Amino acid sequence: MKILLWFLALPALLLPAFALLYIVYQALPALDWSLFVGTQDTKLHFGANQALWQQISGSLLMMLLACALASPIAMSIALFHQLLAGPRQKLFIHALLQVLQGIPPIVYGLCGLVLLVHLLHWGISLAAGAVILAIIILPLLSSNTIHALERIPDEQTESALALGLTPFQLLIRVWLPNAWSSMLTGLLLSMARALSETAPILFTATVFSGVVWPDSIFSPVTSLQTHIFYLAQEGYNQHAIDVAWASAVVLLGLVLSFSLCAFFLRRFEDH
Amino acid sequence: MNNLQKKTSKPMLAETQPQIATLALTNLSLTLTDKTILQHVSLSLAASGITCLIGPSGAGKSSLLRCLNLLQKAWSGQIEIQQQDIRQWPAGEDALRRFIVLIAQKPAVFPVSIAENVIFGLSRKQRKTNQDVRIKTCLQQAALWDEVKYRLDEPAKNLSVGQQQRLCLARALALQPKILLLDEPTASLDPRSKQLIEASLKTLALTMPVLCVTHDLEQAQRLSEKIIFMCDGKVIETADSVTFFQQPLKLESREFLRWSSCDCD
Amino acid sequence: MLKIIRFGYLIALFSIAALLWFLVVNTWPFWAEFGLSSLWLDEWFPYESLYGLLPALVGSAWVMMIAMFFALPCGLAAAIVGSELLSKPWQSTLRLSVEILAGIPSVVYGLIGLWILLPWLQNTFDLITGHSLLAAGLLLAMMILPTIMVMSLDALRFVPQEQREAAASLGLDWNTRLITVLLPQAWPGIRSGVLLALGRALGETMAVMLVVGSLDKMPSPIYNILEPAQTLTSRIGREMGEAAFGSMHFSALMANGLILAIISMLLSFMVLRQRKAAQR
Repeated sequence: MKILLWFLALPALLLPAFALLYIVYQALPALDWSLFVGTQDTKLHFGANQALWQQISGSLLMMLLACALASPIAMSIALFHQLLAGPRQKLFIHALLQVLQGIPPIVYGLCGLVLLVHLLHWGISLAAGAVILAIIILPLLSSNTIHALERIPDEQTESALALGLTPFQLLIRVWLPNAWSSMLTGLLLSMARALSETAPILFTATVFSGVVWPDSIFSPVTSLQTHIFYLAQEGYNQHAIDVAWASAVVLLGLVLSFSLCAFFLRRFEDH
Repeated sequence: MNNLQKKTSKPMLAETQPQIATLALTNLSLTLTDKTILQHVSLSLAASGITCLIGPSGAGKSSLLRCLNLLQKAWSGQIEIQQQDIRQWPAGEDALRRFIVLIAQKPAVFPVSIAENVIFGLSRKQRKTNQDVRIKTCLQQAALWDEVKYRLDEPAKNLSVGQQQRLCLARALALQPKILLLDEPTASLDPRSKQLIEASLKTLALTMPVLCVTHDLEQAQRLSEKIIFMCDGKVIETADSVTFFQQPLKLESREFLRWSSCDCD
Repeated sequence: MLKIIRFGYLIALFSIAALLWFLVVNTWPFWAEFGLSSLWLDEWFPYESLYGLLPALVGSAWVMMIAMFFALPCGLAAAIVGSELLSKPWQSTLRLSVEILAGIPSVVYGLIGLWILLPWLQNTFDLITGHSLLAAGLLLAMMILPTIMVMSLDALRFVPQEQREAAASLGLDWNTRLITVLLPQAWPGIRSGVLLALGRALGETMAVMLVVGSLDKMPSPIYNILEPAQTLTSRIGREMGEAAFGSMHFSALMANGLILAIISMLLSFMVLRQRKAAQR
């Protein structure tokens, strides 16, 4: 039985290391400085000579905007849950967040396409991408914030209230000092999520090339995720594939730096 | 109470071998992450009857019991049951645990029905032969039968903690163990369950050695013929019950008795 | 302060409701024209006004099943190994590696699928390109593995130590303990993990889109998983760029999205009900 279990578990145990090493191995041919700053080599057509920093900055910009949009709303959902909601409303919020979290991101992308891109005439734009990503990370961020606040012992809140603190003072003086690290964990996880979502921004925010830096929030951007997607399908251009793998390493590095920060922060908290 | 004892002791006697299991520890030491839990403990149980293991908390009493049924394996020294080293128990450690069964302090019933809990430890083959009789006997021995006989199919979690502890006892008895280890079996139980458990232990102890950790000194006095007093991982004093409580030999024992009686007041 | 909070909450509710409302409204032309019968029509040619949703539904069902078939035994076994057999330092290494696996973005999985899985399938089964339901299923299995593993690990760790020891004290051997004590008690958690993983497999777009082949026809025969096919998400991803806003094609794609949303909501409700039942 034990042997059987080990045998079944083996792929799961080896897969992460294998996948990681393989991606880096594939990326090696293209991983150098010119990848980031671009080359003048005109033989490398189809975007493979683009400077990757444009894509990186596009992705990061969209992620930061999304987090800036989602954080206050997530915070107010969490505070509503803690301060104002009755038991029934609490159940409702939990159920709502669970359901929203389950809806596939591409569905949000579709909704955003209709509402933001077409009906509001934002066009394919940074703003549309950021709003859609904000909505996608909202449930995750809210439930993490709620968990962070729920972990604060009741006695602390009660004794603070007994001292006559207003809700605002309660938040600033008791809750934030107690819960900032778990809130930060939640935020980091949401950032990682926002960075790795591809499908919903494919038709709403990004173009393949031609944008160095978006002029305004209503102009399209380039992003790392969609860059990989476009390059991956260039089956006959070896250099494009190499660049795709290298971009994948960069993206993976960015995402993992956020999610592993969150991981170690949580572990630090538990001890 | 007496009635019950008479009724239940008979099948028990019929099922046990006439020979009484023996237990001997020599030089048992246990160190966990730089902390010494047990130091050179040697003792032996040769006769039936209840032996109470007492001592202040942190004396290593529970750890000693866990060493005896190999839940804790990091010890050095020698433990022999029936002159057989338990590390080389012929049928393996699972069989050993059926031979010398431990009942934990906190009752851990499984989330199945009461009847299934009783036969939980039995193999499929054993379950086939007179299951109902076996369940009844064990529950009677654990003094639980009268309370649950009409609701054997109910989930065991519905029972009170005291009843759950007796169910754990019944579950252990279903294995027909030869030695019984109990880790503070009546701590935080209601008085009635405590009384019932003590009564059934006394009956059981007619046929097998029972080693019972407790820090309730009155209970130790009521139950046991023999007392082992432990402190800081060492056996300080081994004496029969009357002697120990009336004229303890060692200084530590005297201190402990004095402080404990203060606690009681 | 409280007013601001309430305002923010209402804004959130309002915007979510608005989004879903637009989703429903935009599918309306499609439902009005073709009705529910398109759910079991098996041909999808937007240029000839044929909008049968069945191929994609069947494709989605297939990839979910294939992914679960591979990921469940593997993930569950890994969780058991991780919580019962590994020592503490190895346990945290395992945790870390699962975190890494979960952190790999789906488009990177797509890349892996496209350049490792497809050539491999092509050679093994002697296919034309390797694009197939099986490829998508295998890739999804990798992607949902972390979900299943983390949920099962947590569920197993949730079983109290006393239960393990009580079972051990009864002289039950390791296998029996696993089957009669650990797995039944961890089962609710494992089940919600499975449901969440199914939701993820259903909604995953990029990776599936790159390897499934996007060919809109029923697998023939229905158990043929080695041919290119289509799933709900890959269809949206492939065709969203071509469909003009306001056209019937666009509306039909929105209908695909609505179906996705409804199925995933059902899965979420199942998780919620389970959690409620477990609390009791």
